[in-house]
Amino acid sequence: MVVHRTSRTGRPLRPTSASDTATVRSNDVKYLLMIYMNPTTWESLSEEDRNEVIRGHEEFQRIINESGEMVSTHALAEPAQSATVQVRDGVPAVTDGPYVEAKEYLAGYYLVECNSRERAIELAALVPDARFTAMEVRPIIHSAGAQV
Amino acid sequence: VTVKYLLMIYENDELRGSYSETDFAGLIAGDAKFQQEIRESGELVSVEGLADAVHARTVRVRDGVPVVTDGPYLASKEHLASYFVVDCEDLERATELAARYPAAHRNGVEVWPLLTRGGTEM
Repeated sequence: MVVHRTSRTGRPLRPTSASDTATVRSNDVKYLLMIYMNPTTWESLSEEDRNEVIRGHEEFQRIINESGEMVSTHALAEPAQSATVQVRDGVPAVTDGPYVEAKEYLAGYYLVECNSRERAIELAALVPDARFTAMEVRPIIHSAGAQV
Repeated sequence: VTVKYLLMIYENDELRGSYSETDFAGLIAGDAKFQQEIRESGELVSVEGLADAVHARTVRVRDGVPVVTDGPYLASKEHLASYFVVDCEDLERATELAARYPAAHRNGVEVWPLLTRGGTEM
């Protein structure tokens, strides 16, 4: 299973005044680039292909770090380590495995901030997994963090 | 030592359509309360709400050519509606948090450990 390197970066804000950094942002929109993986596809790749995927992620991260479009990225643990929690009549029931039953699972994601959907799609096409499985691109409509 | 977990909330159009206005207001209030609690406890890293699945695009590159199709990648009634990144003690705590989120009472919340390497989010 691929371990996508995570990296940390805040998109540089472009403040017009030093006292107003939190509210002044560009008109960019955040997009979630979701990496789906099919275990059979991954296992069918040669060592060379796998290394190329890993290098491809490093290269992709370099590009979006330099362009300032990177917000965050995470790689998920394997599906066997996931759990689904459902509460019925106040009682939590925990089952192993993902919520949606599918051959493919979410392996990781990039959260990017860019100026158009076309650009988000262009970025998705640069992620190496797009060559073997696919990337899903979804606009973000609401964000919050540790600070209000 | 804390670990980051992803709490994923799936949406089902049918279920969503069945909500009364009161149900909806309750979900929104429950979400706000949950966010406030985990922000105060220091466990909230970030939360992102996704646009409707009709706005999703799937990108495949074959022989160097990007092919873009409308809609989510997985053909499923359920699609990802939002997610929380939380930083907490262990899987038990992450599960406890998931169970407190309003969506756990309707559909379900998926909990995944995140692999972190060389950095943290935000």
